[in-house]
Amino acid sequence: MEYLVLLQNGLVVLFTIAISWKLITYMRGSLKMEKEPMKVLVTGAAGQIGYAIAPMIARGIMLGPDQPVILHLLDIALAAEALHGVKMELLDAAFPLLKEVHATTDVTEACKDVNVAIMLGGFPRKEGMERKDMMSKNVPIYKEQASALEEHAASDCKVLVVANPANTNALILKEFAPSIPEKNITCLTRLDHNRALSQIAERLKVYVADVKNVIIWGNHSSTQYPDINHATVTTPNGERPVKELDTDDHWLKNEFINTVQQRGVAIIKARKASSALSAASAACDHMRDWVLGTPKGTWVSMGVYSDGSYGIPKDIIYSFPVKCEKGKWSIVKGLKIDEFSRAKMDATAKDLIDEKEVAHSCLN
Amino acid sequence: MGKEPVRVLVTGAAGQIGYALVPMIARGVMLGPDQPVILHMLDIPPAAEALNGVKMELVDAAFPLLKGVVATTDVVEGCTGVNIAIMVGGFPRKEGMERKDVMSKNVSIYKSQASALEQHAAANCKVLVVANPANTNALILKEFAPSIPEKNITCLTRLDHNRALGQISERLNVQVSDVKNAIIWGNHSSTQYPDVNHATVKTPSGEKPVRELVADDAWLHGEFIATVQQRGAAIIKARKLSSALSAASSACDHIRDWVLGTPEGTWVSMGVYSDGSYNVPAGLIYSFPVTCRNGEWTIVQGLSIDELSRKKLDLTAEELTEEKALAYSCLS
Repeated sequence: MEYLVLLQNGLVVLFTIAISWKLITYMRGSLKMEKEPMKVLVTGAAGQIGYAIAPMIARGIMLGPDQPVILHLLDIALAAEALHGVKMELLDAAFPLLKEVHATTDVTEACKDVNVAIMLGGFPRKEGMERKDMMSKNVPIYKEQASALEEHAASDCKVLVVANPANTNALILKEFAPSIPEKNITCLTRLDHNRALSQIAERLKVYVADVKNVIIWGNHSSTQYPDINHATVTTPNGERPVKELDTDDHWLKNEFINTVQQRGVAIIKARKASSALSAASAACDHMRDWVLGTPKGTWVSMGVYSDGSYGIPKDIIYSFPVKCEKGKWSIVKGLKIDEFSRAKMDATAKDLIDEKEVAHSCLN
Repeated sequence: MGKEPVRVLVTGAAGQIGYALVPMIARGVMLGPDQPVILHMLDIPPAAEALNGVKMELVDAAFPLLKGVVATTDVVEGCTGVNIAIMVGGFPRKEGMERKDVMSKNVSIYKSQASALEQHAAANCKVLVVANPANTNALILKEFAPSIPEKNITCLTRLDHNRALGQISERLNVQVSDVKNAIIWGNHSSTQYPDVNHATVKTPSGEKPVRELVADDAWLHGEFIATVQQRGAAIIKARKLSSALSAASSACDHIRDWVLGTPEGTWVSMGVYSDGSYNVPAGLIYSFPVTCRNGEWTIVQGLSIDELSRKKLDLTAEELTEEKALAYSCLS
């Protein structure tokens, strides 16, 4: 009998706690207590991608519709006036989530306390430039920015390198910012991932939102390997493998891969300018999924510090399939790799090892 | 179960404002995060390749809400079935061009687009004219599309409205989201009248009038007005290009508030067909303070207009009447 009374009392207490908790969270909700703003750095912010990404960040596309942001915009002295113009426009747009904008040419000021860093700034490849030349220009930039971030950014700052050569710029950044957790330094392959999804969607005549789980392996360059072996499509009859719905192996192994690899060039040909809109959008997707988590059953592609998974060399920034939860990414393990894929994955790894050597030789 | 997609037309889509605007529409900034859209992008044949490049990028971005993209140089295909039309395309003023020259080029463009919209757009299509001279282009569009309800044809002054809010927030060192109820009266030109006589700021001790907090009428009647009026030129000077980012963002705000409604206690500025309110001549597209509900805008009535404001309201109305006469002379 005593136990019964005890049980009853226990239940009443639990019930009361549960109700009180619900009341408290409801009241907090209706008080609309605003989150603390997050500081987001964008380097190369006066350029094309910067102009596209700044309003996306200010509208909450990168960090969520209820996350206030403070933008730190950095560019070189030559671009100071244009950068100021961007700051003026951001003020003129009266974005509710945008709490402050700091536009500066000073890298220390720009990096101060930032929680997120989007590195768009770099030396673009000019016609006739050798890989070594391009590398020798970018290595010093990323070495310097590494130090600034390490000293001034918030601990646990999440870094996304976009400027090409993205993987190797990210690797240099990692090597010269040893106290930034290696898991926090990534590069953008989400653009290629999104391009792969949409090529499949066009081919199968479905909505791109119904295609998922492609993979971009390796280097964000022409050696990237867009892999659909594990990709699926949501159909009225459930999720079906892409390989089952499109049995044209030849297309998947050739034209599809080529189209995704060469898409950047195709955009430049059509627009006479590079793909700022889609790059900016993909950068928002990369960061949003990293911070807020990937949807259940879905993975995305991110260039991350290799831990040797899938027989890939360590010590390079390599694009893998990842899931994200609670602000951390983890490589999706155990996917079957066929012979064709193995060769492609190794080729792009070799490409990255070569780049790493060229980069290191520039440091001497 | 997802909503039916809404078709949104953007003319002049291969240009700067178009490039800034289309990803905003595709992300749901214009119509809400749960509203699928189909984009219709229209531009002239010399821009066809660039336009296709924009379409390719929209595909590449894998936007979940974007259910289709039509990129065309054919105005009929562009207008077919559209529920919303953002008219960014027009003939820009080149150095040395007289006002009459700019007007005559744009009048023919807007006359032909009026017919196409009237014949092919969905019933109750909402139109926002951005290309300058915005008010008069909108008026021409209205006059040559008589079966489009006159309430559905508007022009953009939300950019000026947002700029005014931004200037006040900087002056008072407050968040721009705490400032509201500025008004832009009249023409989206240098005669526009940015009026903060009824604007307020949210403070810890409640909503306070801007005029009271600024306590500097000379600034409010002088520098503030000039800054807002001349802001476009200031952006061009800094960027060497015009204000695509903020114009696109404001166009999204204009449509979103029109379709989804303005927040309680808040009004916005829209260039709308004048019904004679505030003694502004009827039959012009004139920017007024409006609230929006159930997809319709209503002019905020009964605001007190002081002598200084009266003069400014009349000045910008005069300019619009002149522009209208000039436009008509181009048609003869």
